[in-house]
Amino acid sequence: MINKRPTFWLTFLVLAAACCLLVVLGATPDVAASSKKTKNPPKPPARVFPDGTPWVPVDQVAALKRAHEPVPPLVMDVLIESPMERQLRLNGKAPSLKDAPYRYMVLDSPILKHKDDPFDDLYGPVRFMHLKHAAEVHDCLVCHHYRPKAEHASETTRCSACHQQPFNPAVPGRLGLKAAYHQKCIECHKKRERGPVDCKGCHEKRVPDHSKLVKLPDHPEPITVTRECLRCHDREATNMLTSAHWLWHGPSPYTVGHEDQFVLGKGTNTINNFCIAVKSNWPRCTSCHAGYGWKDADFDFSDKTRMDCLICHDTTGNYYKAPPAAGMPFPQIDLKPIAEHVGKPSRKTCGDCHFQGGGGDAVKHGDMNSVLYYPTRNCDVHMGGMDFQCHECHKTRNHKISGRSLSVPVAEGSRSCEDCHGDKPHKYHSGKGHEDHNLLNHHLNEHSQHIYCQTCHSPVYAKCKPTKVWWDWSKAGDKKRKAKKDKYGMPDYVWKKGEFRWVESAKPAYAWYNGRVKRVIIGQKVDPARGVIRLTEPVGAIWDRKSRIFPFKIMRGKQMYDPENGYLIVPHLFGPDGYWKTLDWQKSFEIGMQAAGLPYSGQYSWVETAMYWGLNHETMPAENALGCAQCHPALNGEQTCNRCHKDTRHLDFKRLAHRGTDFAAMKAKGRDVGALIGQTDYLNFKALGYKGDPIVYGGRFTTIPLGGSVKAQNTSQ
Amino acid sequence: MELSRRGFFKVMGASGAALAATPGKAKATWKSKAPPDAYGCLVDLGRCIGCRKCELACNKVNGLPEPEKPFDDVTVFNQRRRPDDKAFTVVNRYYTGRTDERNQPKPTFVKVQCMHCQDPACASACITGALHKNENGAVTWNPAKCIGCRYCMVACPFQIPAYEYSNPITPRVRKCTFCFDRISEEGGTPGCAAICPVEAITFGRRSELLKLAHQRIKRDPVNYVQHVYGEKEVGGTSWLYISQVPFEKIDSYNMPTRQIPKLTETIQHTIFSYLWAPITLFGILGGAMWTLNRQQITGKSGPGKEKEDRS
Repeated sequence: MINKRPTFWLTFLVLAAACCLLVVLGATPDVAASSKKTKNPPKPPARVFPDGTPWVPVDQVAALKRAHEPVPPLVMDVLIESPMERQLRLNGKAPSLKDAPYRYMVLDSPILKHKDDPFDDLYGPVRFMHLKHAAEVHDCLVCHHYRPKAEHASETTRCSACHQQPFNPAVPGRLGLKAAYHQKCIECHKKRERGPVDCKGCHEKRVPDHSKLVKLPDHPEPITVTRECLRCHDREATNMLTSAHWLWHGPSPYTVGHEDQFVLGKGTNTINNFCIAVKSNWPRCTSCHAGYGWKDADFDFSDKTRMDCLICHDTTGNYYKAPPAAGMPFPQIDLKPIAEHVGKPSRKTCGDCHFQGGGGDAVKHGDMNSVLYYPTRNCDVHMGGMDFQCHECHKTRNHKISGRSLSVPVAEGSRSCEDCHGDKPHKYHSGKGHEDHNLLNHHLNEHSQHIYCQTCHSPVYAKCKPTKVWWDWSKAGDKKRKAKKDKYGMPDYVWKKGEFRWVESAKPAYAWYNGRVKRVIIGQKVDPARGVIRLTEPVGAIWDRKSRIFPFKIMRGKQMYDPENGYLIVPHLFGPDGYWKTLDWQKSFEIGMQAAGLPYSGQYSWVETAMYWGLNHETMPAENALGCAQCHPALNGEQTCNRCHKDTRHLDFKRLAHRGTDFAAMKAKGRDVGALIGQTDYLNFKALGYKGDPIVYGGRFTTIPLGGSVKAQNTSQ
Repeated sequence: MELSRRGFFKVMGASGAALAATPGKAKATWKSKAPPDAYGCLVDLGRCIGCRKCELACNKVNGLPEPEKPFDDVTVFNQRRRPDDKAFTVVNRYYTGRTDERNQPKPTFVKVQCMHCQDPACASACITGALHKNENGAVTWNPAKCIGCRYCMVACPFQIPAYEYSNPITPRVRKCTFCFDRISEEGGTPGCAAICPVEAITFGRRSELLKLAHQRIKRDPVNYVQHVYGEKEVGGTSWLYISQVPFEKIDSYNMPTRQIPKLTETIQHTIFSYLWAPITLFGILGGAMWTLNRQQITGKSGPGKEKEDRS
């Protein structure tokens, strides 16, 4: 008996330990979940370059510095002469583009600041494309209309030399600087029917200080904040009610077969090859919705108090939505100081959602990622060089934001490079080092009829951060499989999602594109036997005059397909009965398809799909655009421009043709572009439908003069 | 002698005729009180783009209440508006039949506010001197003196002064102040002129502005009407207008070139010079009373007696 006692105690101890272990094990997921819920919101992005030095938008800073230079003494005596007299006096020596010292200016002279007028801060300064205007107008003397009488004064004196404070009794009738700008700009824009004539066309309207206007209790609820916004901004909210950012569907004017509809959108029926679709996965997906609490199909889209104003109008950088909370912010965040500092959207507010598409940084968009919060000039010349905010291009009216993409069908207005740069943008390469460029510019402008600006000016995508290009759902569910890191440090596997591939600084796929898109929507019959299913695909062809060559990121992957019904399946991924908890595809598909309102046959298979994503951002500075020889193999031999140009000017044809994107320098900076160094036929002319290099074989609508024998190649018709 | 109703009017009519016959002497004595070197504003309607920024600046400078429709809302142009107690200046849009190069109707925008007459009728009509033409040209209102009779509103030929009917306890007469405080400072400008993006409003000494106005309309005779509105109208105003469309078409009516106070003040001053009119009036009335009194004393029947009889 005594002998048996220790065994009993031992058994007891073992059992007790096992129980404890079980309790601990059982509790662990809850602890983990609750710790996840109390996770702190992220910190706002730091204003630093990747190397840690403070972020400086170089072009903008330089332009502002020039604008803030001390004001020169007022020119009292002006030589007033008629344009004819002046031309005669200058006798062909009138100033020209070459004399234009600045390409980009910010019109923010201290003269324009009134001492303490309560309306002084109404509008921000104007970004002014000086050289572009010079090139468009072709005559410097249109704006620089008179000159100072002093003999050695420049013919093109700066505006503020003569135009300073208004109503100066010493020079009666002389316009002040503000009126001089406005009169010249508006008059000319009206006359030429080009350029804006309204205030907001040139200026950014400043948001008044809301800290005194907003009346809120401490730690207000999100909906309380919205109610407070609505107190004054009901009209804005009414506009928001019909916007794409609220409804997640809207007009789809560029989607083939759906041009006049208002139903397409990610909230209703679009499908992709990332997390497939929103339906049945609301709380996770809608954590990027500009609203609060879209957690199921019953969300009330007419309730203005459910709008999330702060997600776009926060200027503090501290507002963050909690990822799986159906759009609700982190509960720890005090919304009062945020509501008191509302203002214009920024790269931060837009980027918090648009850089994070697909469940992580840079996953979805090949041209947008968190680096664009504070990019280098080389990464994006507009945002990094000139500190452009998203809405400065994506102009917004009544809360409808212009811009379109291939990935989603909704478009509330279009934006293109040509809106600012014109359809013949290569006019103004002048000044030092650009003497030869008039010859080149002619050809480059011809190019803009056949290729989009992005094609040359964004030669690689995901330049700043790796993006996902392959997602195989069929491999998901293997909790034992260890994820390997690829050369960019990105994981190749996540058991919830499947297998991935990432690329960085990759060469885009090029295709003809006329602005219209073919798109597969939920429930649309597709046939995998005909090859890879293209969820989105640009419309265009070499014989279509409206088509031009455009760069794309192609997202490929394998996703679920119902072979009986012949359409793609919407899976239920997120939630207690979702795949990520149950690892049960059948159950996931049943719930998902029920939410999508479609029958599910019970059969599923994996099919390969592809999705085209347009590349519009990460624009390189002009000097880093693709060069002639990088695309045209014909220019890599002995002959370059002198194939056609037999002139005797002192032009270094070879140098001209061989300039371009410096992939070697990019590689030296750590970018994965080794394979692109020294490459020619960058766009792959044959794949685009040409017989070969158009320099040799002729263009798509033209033949080579004098001996060229190749006709327009409309073979693909 | 009984002074009948008819008799009374006869007497009054005769004294009135006597008054009307005399002003010849007083006419020569009326003098304009226009300040010699007043400020003014030249509004060039050919430049105005209808941005309504002047309305906004006016609102901010004077601390006026927020308007119903924001200042960037151009739908307000669908109605013809007048300055009131909540807006000292408004811009109206007129389609006068002009068309642009594309045959589209070309609007003319007209800013309306107090003209700050050189000899303001409102100040003349004001019985307490609450309205006053300042040396710098501004016609301002003094709340300490105003009794709320609103004669100024009746007197103003441009119908500018507005009354705060919505404020029954302390109503004010409201109108453009020419930003009196601002322009009194060195280098100060009225809010509307300071904000105007195209300098459609030029601020300066009235004499200089007149030169400028004539220079501008002379330099562009094809477009501009050869008239400076406010140069001679009602004897001259501090605010001047030049326009590319006839002034009648933009509700800027033909005004007499004489000063409005001239007639009224002449009549008044004539009546009250040396107090001859009251003295005459009271003399006549006194005479009538004396006569009546005598008749009563001497026992003849009078109106008083009849009354007594009836009771």
